[in-house]
Amino acid sequence: MLSPGRIPSGEPIISAEGIRHSYDGRRFALDDVSFTVAQGEVFGLLGRNGAGKSTLIKAMTTLIQPTSGKLRILGHDPRREGRKIRDRIGVVQQGESFEFASVETNLDLYGFLWGVPRAERKQRVETLIERFGLGEFRRRRSFDISGGQKRRVQVAREFMHDMDILFLDEPTLGLDVLMRRVLLDSIRAEVQRGLTVVFTTHNLEEADYLCDRIAVIEEGRILALDTVENLKRLYSGKKTIDLTVSPTEAGRFFPALVAAFGATASIKTNGNAAVLLVEDPKAALATIVDLSQRLGIHLEWLTIRQNTLEDVFLRSISPQGGSNGGA
Amino acid sequence: MAAPNLVRLIYRNVRVNTDPASLLILLGLPAMYLVFFGYGFGSFAAAAGSSGGYISFLAPGMMAFQAVMAGTVGGSMVWADRRWGMLAQLLVGPFTRAEYLFGIMLTSLLFGLGGAAVMLVLAILLLGAATVPLGGGLAIFGAIALGSIFFGSLMLFISAHVKSNTAYNSIQVLILFLVNFASTVFYPFSTKLPYALQVLFVINPLTYIADTARNGYHGALTVTNGYEMIVLAAETVVLLVLATRAYLRSDVSLE
Repeated sequence: MLSPGRIPSGEPIISAEGIRHSYDGRRFALDDVSFTVAQGEVFGLLGRNGAGKSTLIKAMTTLIQPTSGKLRILGHDPRREGRKIRDRIGVVQQGESFEFASVETNLDLYGFLWGVPRAERKQRVETLIERFGLGEFRRRRSFDISGGQKRRVQVAREFMHDMDILFLDEPTLGLDVLMRRVLLDSIRAEVQRGLTVVFTTHNLEEADYLCDRIAVIEEGRILALDTVENLKRLYSGKKTIDLTVSPTEAGRFFPALVAAFGATASIKTNGNAAVLLVEDPKAALATIVDLSQRLGIHLEWLTIRQNTLEDVFLRSISPQGGSNGGA
Repeated sequence: MAAPNLVRLIYRNVRVNTDPASLLILLGLPAMYLVFFGYGFGSFAAAAGSSGGYISFLAPGMMAFQAVMAGTVGGSMVWADRRWGMLAQLLVGPFTRAEYLFGIMLTSLLFGLGGAAVMLVLAILLLGAATVPLGGGLAIFGAIALGSIFFGSLMLFISAHVKSNTAYNSIQVLILFLVNFASTVFYPFSTKLPYALQVLFVINPLTYIADTARNGYHGALTVTNGYEMIVLAAETVVLLVLATRAYLRSDVSLE
């Protein structure tokens, strides 16, 4: 899969430095984006819709030229050496892409376009049909199958050829739980063989399951970038408390809660629910219970749990950051 | 060893456009024109005292018509590739925009020449043994080759600007109608036609292609046919440049 020696040892396979891109000359879809990706790494881009993930993928796959900044993929400059890059990457784009042909013809034709010899194509088609569960509809035209089935074909198709980097833009969109796991495990297996993966998603569980490092992206800027564990450790030693009160009492209770904790906890509220990030969960629980009793508030739900990637993500993209306030 | 990129793209274009439905439109429609119109209107022409039979007039016209059909194939491929995401997918693969464009143009050419050859065989079957002189045959295929690129460029230009399926199909049908029926494909040019229609006939590139194909088919090429081909070549170059610019500036995807 990987072509050892093409990239000098230790050098990143992708490096971006101060990348900016604007579609309309007024607003930046990418704004001062810098990061590196090492060989064999699974690099996740996590963000909401319109955060800039797909634009970044388009820039890395040479579909658009960044307005400014330095970008190198596999040691090549996309502006001048796009072809050399595209020869060695695979891309599953967010949008649909199909030929007016049967599922197996789609796979075979794609392999042909990549110059894969006939015998190898035949073998790969069968392997992928088996691995991605396409057998049931292999002879049906791509336009006659369901959205989830189309997505499976689209992802499977990319494995018809060899590559050094695989870019996946929301690859699990529309897939059921079982197929999502098949896809993620397939990617993991390829990574073990040396493939580098850049993966965009807004599914936090997937990012947690697959990625070595994650960049949280919002409004074209990278807000947080680290390993999954380190991101979670940003709030190390802290625990998350989830609590819910009656909707009629939330307006009275939450301001009192924020005042009671001051700077000692990060509190996000949403309707009648609140999430608190605290260092001493035992003391925090006592404060909450005491406050609720004093104000005559009935606590409907109260739990303590470990931080998840979702907590990291929500805190990263929140305009209030880690400070108290409504989410 | 893998085939060159351009060959791979042409093979792909041909393969996805040679399903039975596409072939029926591409070859079946002109073939039906030739048979139904040939025999149907042939009886009028015979009653009016025309010599040679209407089928022998119409057959070269149908060969010329293949240039237009080939153009629509090219335009439709680009439009469908933008609409269904394959253009973007090919351009993040091992292909350049220029290769994709050449692939489309050469595929149009292939369809134009292939379709004309099928029409020639059909004409021979309907008319008996044909005696098309070598020079005439070369003129026919040269005219159709140029015409395929001309109409391919026209449709490429349109497909680069249009974003909805309905709009693209409507424009294509309108162009097909205007180009076919305001040309010498089905009937000869006449000064008895309304003046506006006469102008349409004269500026219509399909008239040049049909005239050259017809005279080539009957071994009666004239200097005028040579001039017509020069004009057609010049128009093709201009339109190809305009279409290429429009294509290069267009979004690769319609999402």
